[in-house]
Amino acid sequence: MSWTRFDPTATFIRVPVRIVGLQGVEWLGMALDTGSNRTVLSELAAIRLGYDLVSAPTVHIVTASGIAEARLIFARQIFALGMTVDEFPVLVMPLPTRLRADGLLGLDFLRCRKLFCNFEKGILLTLPFSRNLMHRFALSAQIFAAL
Amino acid sequence: MGEIRPEPIEQIRQRYKNEWLLIKVTKHDRSGFPIEGILLLHTPDKEEVHEAILNLRERGETGELMFWFEGPLVPEGWEVVLSVLDEV
Repeated sequence: MSWTRFDPTATFIRVPVRIVGLQGVEWLGMALDTGSNRTVLSELAAIRLGYDLVSAPTVHIVTASGIAEARLIFARQIFALGMTVDEFPVLVMPLPTRLRADGLLGLDFLRCRKLFCNFEKGILLTLPFSRNLMHRFALSAQIFAAL
Repeated sequence: MGEIRPEPIEQIRQRYKNEWLLIKVTKHDRSGFPIEGILLLHTPDKEEVHEAILNLRERGETGELMFWFEGPLVPEGWEVVLSVLDEV
């Protein structure tokens, strides 16, 4: 079980994410975005982490405001919400500087586990998928603490 | 010149409001989240932190760097609409 605290009064849910790139490791603030099917990293962050965006493959994307292009890279490792995933595909695109986050943590990452959100207390809780009835009871006890 | 000592990240965050912080992480909690570090830079200019990280990496810095804004996640008067779907 892993708890992550967030500011429930903030404009969006920002979570700390550790990204291991080709050149160094960075902790960045990323917006939790269940409306994105892919995890997105800002162009500047990808450059700092040592990725060559010119040679990276292009992907077409649709956003709330239209169609755009992004680059596809593979983060050596991503750690967020208590989960670690290696060689994780990430879309890279410019993000507005007014957005004080360096990326979007999308559904592709969130699908790895169960996610519980307490908007009142500002708690995100991630749990493994339940294997059997006993495991389900054990997980329920952990969720209880976050209620 | 005295040695710069790591301090709790929470303490650093409380000291600098509405600024971008660049912190070299020196300690994590049991869950792996950064709890202690050395403040390398604080500025309202995000680009300045970006340049500072590039310079540090060029000089061989390989440690964990935390790049964090302390304050409202968008300027006052702005709203946020996200969502990205690939494979159009």
